[in-house]
This record gives sequence, structure tokens and C-alpha cells, in this order.
Amino acid sequence: MSRKRPRLVPETFGAKRRRGPGWSGEEPPGVESGSVLRALRELGELFPRRLFQDALPPVALKSQVYSLVPDRTAADRQLRELREQGKIRVIQLGFDSDAQGIVFTEDFRTKALESCRGQPFEGTVQRFLAVVLPACGDLSFQQDQMIQTFGFRDCEITQLVNAGVLTVRDAGSWWLSVPGAGRFVKYFVKGRQAVLGMVRKSKYRELSLSELLGRRAPLSVRLGLPYHVHDLIGGQLLDIVPTTSGTLLRLPET
Amino acid sequence: MIFLKYRVLKLELNKDRDVERIHGNGVNTLDIEPVERRYMLSGGSDGVIALYDLENFSRNVHYTCKAICSVGRNHPDVHKYSVETVQWYPHDTGMFTSSSFDKTLKIWDTNTLQPADVFHFEGTVYSHHMSPVATKHCLIAVGTKGPKVQLCDLKSGSCSHILQGHRQEILAVSWSPRYEYILATASADSKVKLWDIRRASGCLITLDQHNGEKSKASSEAANTAHNGRVNGLCFTRDGLHLLTTGTDDRMRLWNSSNGENTLVNYGKVCNESRKGLKFTISHGCSPEFVFVPYGSTIAVYTVYSGELITMLRGHYNTVDCCVFQPNFQELYSGSRDCNILAWVPALREPLPDEDDEVVSHSQKNPAFQDAWSSGDEEG
Repeated sequence: MSRKRPRLVPETFGAKRRRGPGWSGEEPPGVESGSVLRALRELGELFPRRLFQDALPPVALKSQVYSLVPDRTAADRQLRELREQGKIRVIQLGFDSDAQGIVFTEDFRTKALESCRGQPFEGTVQRFLAVVLPACGDLSFQQDQMIQTFGFRDCEITQLVNAGVLTVRDAGSWWLSVPGAGRFVKYFVKGRQAVLGMVRKSKYRELSLSELLGRRAPLSVRLGLPYHVHDLIGGQLLDIVPTTSGTLLRLPET
Repeated sequence: MIFLKYRVLKLELNKDRDVERIHGNGVNTLDIEPVERRYMLSGGSDGVIALYDLENFSRNVHYTCKAICSVGRNHPDVHKYSVETVQWYPHDTGMFTSSSFDKTLKIWDTNTLQPADVFHFEGTVYSHHMSPVATKHCLIAVGTKGPKVQLCDLKSGSCSHILQGHRQEILAVSWSPRYEYILATASADSKVKLWDIRRASGCLITLDQHNGEKSKASSEAANTAHNGRVNGLCFTRDGLHLLTTGTDDRMRLWNSSNGENTLVNYGKVCNESRKGLKFTISHGCSPEFVFVPYGSTIAVYTVYSGELITMLRGHYNTVDCCVFQPNFQELYSGSRDCNILAWVPALREPLPDEDDEVVSHSQKNPAFQDAWSSGDEEG
């Protein structure tokens, strides 16, 4: 064949995708079933347990899953299956309607029970975890659902809110929540802004991935740089540009 | 037609093809006539409508699609303000329709370039559409600043129908290419409704992005297709699915028979348009591709799997509209930089200095011709 081979048809219909590959050594798992589960376990490793004195279950964000599993439709489908099987719960984190946190049900249950040990509302929380969680896989609960179907009284619902297991959403409906999630959300929002600021302040508003991870994180980044970078990439707040010297992170133009 | 997708994958700007620049202001809308796919209409923010011939009969490789005629600013019946939508009459090129911010919808005779009829409305017209498959009716659906969708009858010359149900302005309307009585409308109140115009009592389905799971979002977002204004609608060619885009930066694919969100995730599709966004779907390829204006580029996605294929870069300003020419798998896009760009599948150029790479037989030296092998490779 000639050395000046004309440009071949791009192999987009194979395994190679034009969108950036997973970064820094974590090869994107092909979209077999179980790739989202593996991604969730990897993200659980990244979560800083010590920061919260081990009171929080490892929370992964949906955008982080998209960063590790580039095919979003398949990732959504697997997350739905895991939710239907009861292995994970999705938590609405509140600061962004898109940002949803994912926790393993087992971790959630153990940490919630630990956090309410010795408190007066322990019994209510135990009943909630035993009765409501397996029955209803939704993100939120309505008042009539709680009172009629599950038999909770108003004062018990207030106890659940005080315990941190429920958060107010509207008059008469509540989001499922993790006890102690407030601190997590505070650190998360500050850290996200700080990492974005690092890219924004750099020349040409772009940074290579290795450079970003190698830098010392500013004090407001408590959850760790890799944790935030996964979220920013998956949430499309940063564009990935594959270059010959590694992946480049760039702020989108718009 | 498996190989057609390869042509779409190789779309790029070609130095040998451009479109004559007529508009002095942004190009808002483009339409290619469905009969021969040869003539293209464009409407601009200056109120000008131009008609281009896309076929290349000049025997040159380099070809500029010339504007054959146009309704310019000195035409007595030109639209006073920006033209938002133009559409050819679906059955022949003798007529076309245009609607504009000057609150009118005009029906033009192509040969004389005179308006045959004018419909007046109370609010600015964002979008209009005439059914491409209708044989029993000649209704034009019009979306205006008011919340009522108006159906104008070409035969009688008046507005015959009003569809009530939306609460804010209607940004996009589209008839189904499968059933002549099914209409989809998208509104700034975040809702998309499917109507059967024969039914007097209201819409058939309101699309719900959560598919009925009320727990997913805050309660005000019940029954909404997007979390913001819905400003783009496009049916797939077989009419079985509907794509919608909204200012929540999302694009969604719906099953048009039961209104179910297929939950295909395209990622962030940046959408800042304050009026309608006109995007288009390829025709005849498998899998089908959708071309969406994304800022000053055009993003190409596979429709049913949500994969981003590429971003076509070339415009200098926001892209407002694009149309696909199915005969040659070409894409034409109009933007606020007043240009219409033609995206043509890149060809494999024969290399002139390598004899065995030349494709055409007539240029080959007969001494190199392969006359004895079993001929399963092309020469």
C-alpha cells in the first residue's frame, strides 16, 4: 500500500470514540453490565472517609459515573437497574437539580443507624430504614404516602427530618437524604468552585490533567482533586481534549 | 443504505462549494424543497428571503450555489422584520410560505414572487409548519407569542382552528411525517404537547420527562418536557420518535406514540436561543444522526444511542439553523454571521504521483493494467 494512505473512514462505529477517553490510567471500562458498579466502587475509594469521621457513607455523584463510563445512556440504564435491584439509593443533593448523589444501600443503612444510636428518634429511624427503604425506591416521599401506606405520624416525620434522613422538599413532600449531608455539600460546592478557579486562572484557561493533579490543592478542596475532576468532566463543566502529551482540561467556550 | 453513514461521518467544509452570500443579517431559517431537493430557501433577520439552486451543472468542481431570486428589501411586500421560518409547499415548488416577527404569515407564488395570501396574527410568529404528508387538509400550524396554536387553512384563507392548552408562547411546531393529523407543539412553559387536530377536546399527550415518576423533581416540574423553555422540535423521518431541545441544555428523544421519554442521554447540548432552534435529522442512514446547532458549531449525535460524533466548526457566530440534503448527504447551515455553509462528505482524493492509486481507468497506462488476475480488487 502507498505510504500516503488517504484518510480512512473514522472508526467511530467500533470501540473507539471521538470523545476523550477516561483519564489518567483509569481506562474507561467498556459498557458491559457491571461497569457502573465497578465505577461506583472506584469512586467510593476516592471518597475521603476520615474527613467526616467515618459518619458518612461514601457518596459518588452521577456526573462522576459519566466520567468513568462515557456512554451516558448505558450508564443511566445500569444505574436504573441497580436502583430497581435495591443496591443503590439516589440522593438529591440540593444545590443543583442535576447533581444527584449515589450511595450503596448497605452503607447508607449502616451509617444512618450509627448516626442515630442513642438518640431519642432511634426507633423511628430504624423503622423507616426497615420498612420504607425496601418498599419505595424513589428519591422523595409524599405526605399521604408516608402517613397512609407506611403509618408514620407527623411527629415521627419531624423526628426523621431532625435525624437527617429526610429533607424538606415542598409542603408535604420530602427528599431522601444522608445524615450529615450538609457538611458534604458545603465542602463539595466550595471544592468544585476552587478547582474550576484553578483552570480559569491558568493561561488560556486550560490545564493538562497531570499538571492539575500534581498541583497542591487549595485549602477549600477538602474532598480531593481527583474526586472533583471526575465530577467536572462528567458534568461537562470542563472539556477533555486528548493531545499527544496527555489529556488537556479546558473550560468550555460558552 | 449502510454506506451512507460513512458519508455523513466525513462531513466537512469543502473549499469547492459555497453558497452565495445574500443576507446582510443573520440567517434564521433554511428549507430544501422535498420534491427534487434542488432548491433551497433561506430567511434572514433582515426580512429577506432568498432562493438558491443547489445543483451543480457547471462541470466545474468549484461551484457557488447562486441565489436565483430573492425577496429583497426593495420588494413592496417584503416582511418588515426578521423572517423566522420559511417552508416550501410540500407538494411542489410553485409556492412557499414564510412567517416573520412582523406578525404575518405570507404565502408566496414562486414564479412571480408575489404574495398570494397573507395571514395576520396578534403576536409575533415564531414558527410555522405545513404537514409534509397531508392529502386531506392544507392546514398550516402557526406558533406565535400567544399561548394558542393557530391552524390556518390555505383553501379558505382563514384561521380555521385554535388549539388551546399551552400557557406561554409557542416556540416550535411540527407535524408528524407519519400521520397527517398529528401535530407537536413546544412552548416556553416547558411543555410539549401532541395533538390530534380532529379532536376538539384538547391535546393527546403532554410529554413528561420523568415518565410519570413524580419523585424525581420538584413538584412544579410535573409534566414538563424540559426544565426550561422548549425551543426545538424534530420528528425522526419515520415519525416514530420525536426529538426536543430546551434551554435546560438537554435534548430528549421521545416515543411519539405513547409520549414516553426514551431516556437517551445526549449530555449537555448548549442552548441559549431565545427563539426557536431549528435542527435536523439525517435521512436514509442507519443509524440516523441529528445535527444540532451548538453555539457557533454544529454538534452531530447518533439519534438512538446518544453518542456525540463530532462538532462541525466553521461559523463565526451562533448557528441558528441547519438542513440536511438527503440525496448527496450534505448539510447546509445558516448562522448569525450571515453565511450559509455547505458541509460536504470528504472524498478520497486520488493521489496524482502514485500511478497505482489512480482510480479512473482511462488515465491508466495499458501496460499497468491487470488483465490476468481474478479481478476481485478494484483496479
